[in-house]
Amino acid sequence: MNGELRLNITSDPANLADVRRAIEQLCAENGFPDSVGADLGLCVNEAMANIIRHAYGGAKDRPIEIRAKADDGQVRVTIRDWGNGVNPLELPANTKPKDPLKPGGLGLLCIQQMLDTFAFRPEADGMLLEMIKLRPLKEPG
Amino acid sequence: MPELNTNSTLLPTARLEGDAVIASVDGEIDLKNSPDLREALFDLISTQKPQRVILNLSKVHYMDSSAIAVLVESLQRLRKTGGKMCLTNLQPRVKGLLEIARLDSIFVIAKDEAEALQM
Repeated sequence: MNGELRLNITSDPANLADVRRAIEQLCAENGFPDSVGADLGLCVNEAMANIIRHAYGGAKDRPIEIRAKADDGQVRVTIRDWGNGVNPLELPANTKPKDPLKPGGLGLLCIQQMLDTFAFRPEADGMLLEMIKLRPLKEPG
Repeated sequence: MPELNTNSTLLPTARLEGDAVIASVDGEIDLKNSPDLREALFDLISTQKPQRVILNLSKVHYMDSSAIAVLVESLQRLRKTGGKMCLTNLQPRVKGLLEIARLDSIFVIAKDEAEALQM
């Protein structure tokens, strides 16, 4: 099993659903349980939504590059943007415990809780987010 | 039970039942269409001024954090006039997201509309 996905899209929210479904499909085609595709699809959606809202300030015509690769052990997704390069983890609002009734930060919380590994890697002209979801161990028997 | 016109495909049916507005939400909701859901819900709340809004989410198999934010904003509007919001028929992915957001204890969660009306 070794599936790959390469998508170059614009920062239009209308693209979110198609990218999420493509990630879910990649996971399914490579034998990952539905839960992996669902979690990873949501996290990719949230990461892209954060880019659209914060890195690109709502502009719909900026580039986002998505790469995904599935193998026996994991699915790895990278999302590259050419925005303001701010690491969401370093924003003051995201360094305190989240108040459920205050808006914002939930997308990042999903990324933190649903993925096995993630890292924001600042680039000279934007940000690269790497996300990894491992294949769950099979139930014994 | 008077039917209410929502003018939104995301809220295809809504009706008044006692002091409650019961509405069904339909569709996958993300940043693209969550503003439409916000507008439809805010319209219902401002025009009907219900004490309770019961949202049937049986046809919502996916929502993201922008949709959750709309639900929270709607709840906060209702709370200003002492109102409550109840979510029913939660699908697994939506339920999981509410748990991650620690909102499963802030909204009233019911199995279905009948149970919500008795709460």
